[in-house]
Amino acid sequence: MKKKINGFLILPLLVIAGCSSDAALSTSGSTVTPASLAPAASPSVKPVPPPPPAAPVAVTPPALPSVSSAASPTTPSSSEQNGLSQSGYGFDQWQTGPVGDVFFEFDSSVLSSKAQEQLAKNAAWFGRNTSKSARIEGHCDSRGTSEYNIALGERRSTSAKEYMVRLGVASPRLETVSFGEERPFDSGKSNEAMAKNRRAHFVVK
Amino acid sequence: MQFYRNVISTIFALCLFVIPLHLVAAPEGEYIIISKKGSENITLALNKLDVQRGDDGKVAHSLDLIIRDALAFPALFTILAPQVTVQDNSGINYSALGSINAEVYVRGTVTTIAGNVTLDMKVYSIGAAKLLFSKTYSGKETQLRPVGHAFCADLVEHLTGRRSAFGSKIVFVSNKTGFKEIYQCDFDGKDVEQLTSSRSISLTPALSPDGKNLAYTDYSTGRPALYIRNQLDGKTVMASKSGISIDPAWRNSRELATTLSFEGDQEIYLLKSDGALYRRLTRSNGIDLSPTFSPDGNKMAFVSGRNGQPQIFIQDLLSGEARRLTFNGDYNTQPSWSPSGDKIAYTTCENSGEFNIFTVGTDGAGLRQLTAQAGQNESPSWSPDGEMIVFTSNRDGKKRLYTMGATGRNQLALLQMSGEQMQAFWSLFRK
Repeated sequence: MKKKINGFLILPLLVIAGCSSDAALSTSGSTVTPASLAPAASPSVKPVPPPPPAAPVAVTPPALPSVSSAASPTTPSSSEQNGLSQSGYGFDQWQTGPVGDVFFEFDSSVLSSKAQEQLAKNAAWFGRNTSKSARIEGHCDSRGTSEYNIALGERRSTSAKEYMVRLGVASPRLETVSFGEERPFDSGKSNEAMAKNRRAHFVVK
Repeated sequence: MQFYRNVISTIFALCLFVIPLHLVAAPEGEYIIISKKGSENITLALNKLDVQRGDDGKVAHSLDLIIRDALAFPALFTILAPQVTVQDNSGINYSALGSINAEVYVRGTVTTIAGNVTLDMKVYSIGAAKLLFSKTYSGKETQLRPVGHAFCADLVEHLTGRRSAFGSKIVFVSNKTGFKEIYQCDFDGKDVEQLTSSRSISLTPALSPDGKNLAYTDYSTGRPALYIRNQLDGKTVMASKSGISIDPAWRNSRELATTLSFEGDQEIYLLKSDGALYRRLTRSNGIDLSPTFSPDGNKMAFVSGRNGQPQIFIQDLLSGEARRLTFNGDYNTQPSWSPSGDKIAYTTCENSGEFNIFTVGTDGAGLRQLTAQAGQNESPSWSPDGEMIVFTSNRDGKKRLYTMGATGRNQLALLQMSGEQMQAFWSLFRK
């Protein structure tokens, strides 16, 4: 029993590690170590590159649709282009804030290199706008069962939050919630629609 | 330690309660004659009810329909309308009934006096050529359903030795109003009633076995939280913890379990029926979700992502040991423990992307697929007698509730209602 409790203590640190076979697509599956958490607590912060343990791929230039295609084939690239052309952030008409959403593979809460780039930008924005806070909503596509999707959505929002906290955003500024599959951004059944719904959505306050 | 003591005393109390019932419930082994092991259905010859007096036939006709509809429901019976010649002045013509392969013959008379209805029913075993039971039911002319269903419940108990689903409730989610709210209906889909009006998102209802409390998840505060509604006065309490709450289930009428994330990871906890946190049940890295309990409350089946993709595990609450139950498919969720205790129904995402309902023995043997090639099928929940399963399917375009026999036979829509319906939970008899 005691052994299990000790095992549980390191559990929050492993949240980002995710749990899907799709992890093969991603570069962030093993980025978090206890050591990398320690220096991240300072509340205001300049734009920082992703921490050293993150895979080198993540430090490539800001996401351009053509460059990023390898990272996440199901990311909705067309709507992403819209978002970029309008404000430099965001991915579709539902995204109105200055901070961009990040997208996930099916049944995964693992941050792709592209998601990590977006979160680095988001963290930089919060570094410049120290009075702002955000609610990070975890969302899922309609595949999967709805109870499980609430849990998965929470893991997505927590993944995004933990990453930004490691980049220096103070934890209390980022609230997380999961909507599972209850609030789809696109009610369509196409792969592109599904991909749009698998996200951590930022609502800036 | 207190927990173990409670569990042990609960088991002891359950034993005291259950054993005498079992001794009483079996009507001298008569039902063994009728329900042949392995046979699919009991063939029932059901006579039209006779009018004794004081009625123009309307009450008898109504009761006839109520009983006929109800008996068609549990997927237990093949119902025959016998020829008039099966009964004459000298008695029951057993050989004529036997020749149409009837196993049980049912007849009855209705008496209506000043709005009070009396129903006299007689049930005969054709194989044994004798009266099985005879009983009188009474009620008001304006409320005939309980009268007819009381007879149906007795009939099923006599023939199978088990309690029936008659009189039980089904709670479910519908977005009829534009918001997902909780509703309930009778076992046969009749008498639909809306229970919540939060105009938010209300999900995963579960009735306590005594029917007094309804647990569900609700987003009224902006995040999914556990609510417990007193079914008698409609008052609700919210069990507030930071993080989220997902998918509650009752262990007995005093304790329920749900997933909470306030400690960081998503784990399953036991709570008292007033919402007070009681004990943590799981300790694993990953999602732990959707508890469902064995009839004795000593084991819990649940969904865990501890190995990566979601699979169903069974945990012994005394030892804390958990073992993996499901091995077919990469995505198994929504377990529901059968009232007889020997099976788990659950939802699989097949390689084709189709969601279907399966049952498997609690020892992992006897895997059986219940739905196939009929849209997406999910959220199985057993009827309290274990004869049927209610589930959600979009086979006709939108999500609606269906029932089927425990082996997948006889899949029928439960109710007609606007909007979509999902996440049905069938009430239990557990104490």
